[in-house]
Amino acid sequence: MLDSPISRRSLLAGAVGASALLTLPRPAAPAVKKGTSLKLWILKTYVEPTNKAIEASAQRWAQKNGASVSVEYFTFEDMQTKYVAAIESNSTPDIGQLETSAPARFAGMGQLIDLTTFARQIEGQVGKAPANVSAVTMVGDKIYSLPWYVMGGFWYVWRDVFEKAKVKLPTTFEEAKQAAAALNRPKDNFYGMGQSWNRTSDGYGVMQSLMYSYGVGWAGKDGKYKSLKTPAMQTVMKWATDIYKDGIQPADTLTWTGSGNNENFIAKNIAQTSNGPSITFALENALAKATDAKDRKAKEEALANHVALPHPAGPDGRRMWAIAMSFGIFKNSKDPEAAMSLIAHLLSPEETVAVMKDSYGQFGPVLDKARAASKDYFNKNDNYRTFGRAAEWFAPTGWPGPTTAAAAEVQASNVLTDAPAKVIVDKWSVDQAIDWEDKKIKEIYDTLKG
Amino acid sequence: MALPQTVGVPAVRARASLWRRARTREAATALLFLLPLFVLVVALIFYPVYRAVWLSLTDKLVGYPERFVGLRNYAYLAQDDTFHAVIRNSLVFTVGSVGLKIVTGVLMALVLNNVIRGRNFFRGLFLLPWITSTVIIALTWRWMFDAFPGRGFFNSVLLDLGVMSRPKAFMASPEGAMMAVVVANWWRGFPFFGVSFLAGMASIPRELYEAAAVDGAAAWRRFWHVTLPGLKHVMIVTTLLSFILTINDFNIVYVMTRGGPGTATQIFATYSYQVAFGQLRWGRGVTISLFVVPILVLGIVLISRYLLRDRK
Repeated sequence: MLDSPISRRSLLAGAVGASALLTLPRPAAPAVKKGTSLKLWILKTYVEPTNKAIEASAQRWAQKNGASVSVEYFTFEDMQTKYVAAIESNSTPDIGQLETSAPARFAGMGQLIDLTTFARQIEGQVGKAPANVSAVTMVGDKIYSLPWYVMGGFWYVWRDVFEKAKVKLPTTFEEAKQAAAALNRPKDNFYGMGQSWNRTSDGYGVMQSLMYSYGVGWAGKDGKYKSLKTPAMQTVMKWATDIYKDGIQPADTLTWTGSGNNENFIAKNIAQTSNGPSITFALENALAKATDAKDRKAKEEALANHVALPHPAGPDGRRMWAIAMSFGIFKNSKDPEAAMSLIAHLLSPEETVAVMKDSYGQFGPVLDKARAASKDYFNKNDNYRTFGRAAEWFAPTGWPGPTTAAAAEVQASNVLTDAPAKVIVDKWSVDQAIDWEDKKIKEIYDTLKG
Repeated sequence: MALPQTVGVPAVRARASLWRRARTREAATALLFLLPLFVLVVALIFYPVYRAVWLSLTDKLVGYPERFVGLRNYAYLAQDDTFHAVIRNSLVFTVGSVGLKIVTGVLMALVLNNVIRGRNFFRGLFLLPWITSTVIIALTWRWMFDAFPGRGFFNSVLLDLGVMSRPKAFMASPEGAMMAVVVANWWRGFPFFGVSFLAGMASIPRELYEAAAVDGAAAWRRFWHVTLPGLKHVMIVTTLLSFILTINDFNIVYVMTRGGPGTATQIFATYSYQVAFGQLRWGRGVTISLFVVPILVLGIVLISRYLLRDRK
């Protein structure tokens, strides 16, 4: 029993006050101490203006808060090496941009701070990512990084080549293969397709898109190992190897490094290939640097004729593996509060759109507020409209399950692309290659249990 | 008359003590001077080797503490089909590259040895591949073997000469890719052999050649019976050094083929890198590198004993 009874007026006043407090917007990001210094690692993509834009955005935050940010880059090539070296030498940055599999791997190592509360706290300010994308930032029900954008892979084709040969633009993998056969002119050194099973994301990324679109995954929804020895996987492997057997690709396609498909597509040696929007960037950039009217006309035609289609679908739907970039805070950070503040700044719709505008379509925002704010930008033309939908089709490493350390290792071990190479180069049968791949994957899952 | 012994003993003892003190001081000074070297050897050689051997006996994953697993990594690799391919590839790559380097190194040395004017100029010219960045060399050879006419050097030349009607994808087959990396490695390394052999040739006494010529030995016999035996020691040391460097090579294969197509050019260093940094399995990655050590140690011991026996 209360000693002094509460009057109705004071009760009402208290209730109103409490409601007002609850409805007041909570602080979006933690406060920053003056003079704070942060280390930020970001990905250096082929599109240089994007890199500069991210750095500029970080510096805007520093200026606003009287802090300093030192930005360091890593490339696709040295991303893993740089993080591994930093983790083993205890010299991780405060904030790191993390690719698709990194949050699961680094969180498992205990390197990342749990950002679940912070993520909920800034949701009102920056918005939410679709479930297929946010899945890569979580381990169990905890959030370890905040998603920012998806760098999708699209199916690039030359429209004029297709129109001239009266071939339909492909929407499925099977159609793409048929189109390649119809467009193939090896005598003129022009080939119907250029798809390499190499050791870059142009290889293992496309292989995952192919597998997932055929409903094939090496893990179940629970993230546990699942056998690959299925008829659907046989179809996948057949597609992956037939394109090499039928002479519809340049003979050296398997040896291409990351830039081989870009170069061959831009040089018009191939009719179709899978790639990120860096091809569009290269063509737009080439046009900007045209030397005379004739050169300008040729480059305008090239730009108009290159089409970025959605990645082909399979019998089970359209699923596109992509590089999903997020921000994580490392446990060694001297000032996690300031790091959170910087992340909130970078993820805000205004800053996201500012960076995105310098990305030539490569930067597909995933947070709904930024996506809403970027609608006009992606309405520029058909290619950009396709780029803008990257997050919709995204399927993470280890689909249909969560991205786990084991799933990440499957991708990193190159078994996904070495298996078709065994058929193409070593003349194994499709079944032999699938057996080999399945054995290797099972081994990875078995050894990562302990 | 015998000297009373008691008189001389303290003096002798004092001298001996002085001598001992001087020796101790000398030894202490020597140890002091040796100490930095000892620290360096321990820190830069023994510790890394010990650490590597220890890691190979653990299941060390990046970001996790290591756990002792005995010889499990070795047992795994012994039955890993990719690793079997890696051993084969590494040996083909090394023996092929070093073999070519020996032959062309001897030819280079023979030519330069007979050039009187501009010898230093040519020596410098031949050294260019040796001093050029390996990555640049690898990229250049990759471009030269490129399959597309107008872009790949060999294809463009052969098509223009009418030798071929269709471009050839040199690096698309396992044999072609291996040939390409061997050629790039050979091109980078043969000047080292040439210059070393040239120095060796300069130390062969002229009289031996003159005596052989007087005995009626033709050029080929002079080369076989005078030059080659005279170069024996230089050749062994150069070959051994090059073997060690080549079997541990990383850059050329990584830049040109990434170990592909498939696993056709995957060698010790590239596979070790993939396992350690891609798969984050440091224990296993280190084990891959350590597998080559016994082969090298055996080679070094055998050759050292052979050289020492010859010297005796």
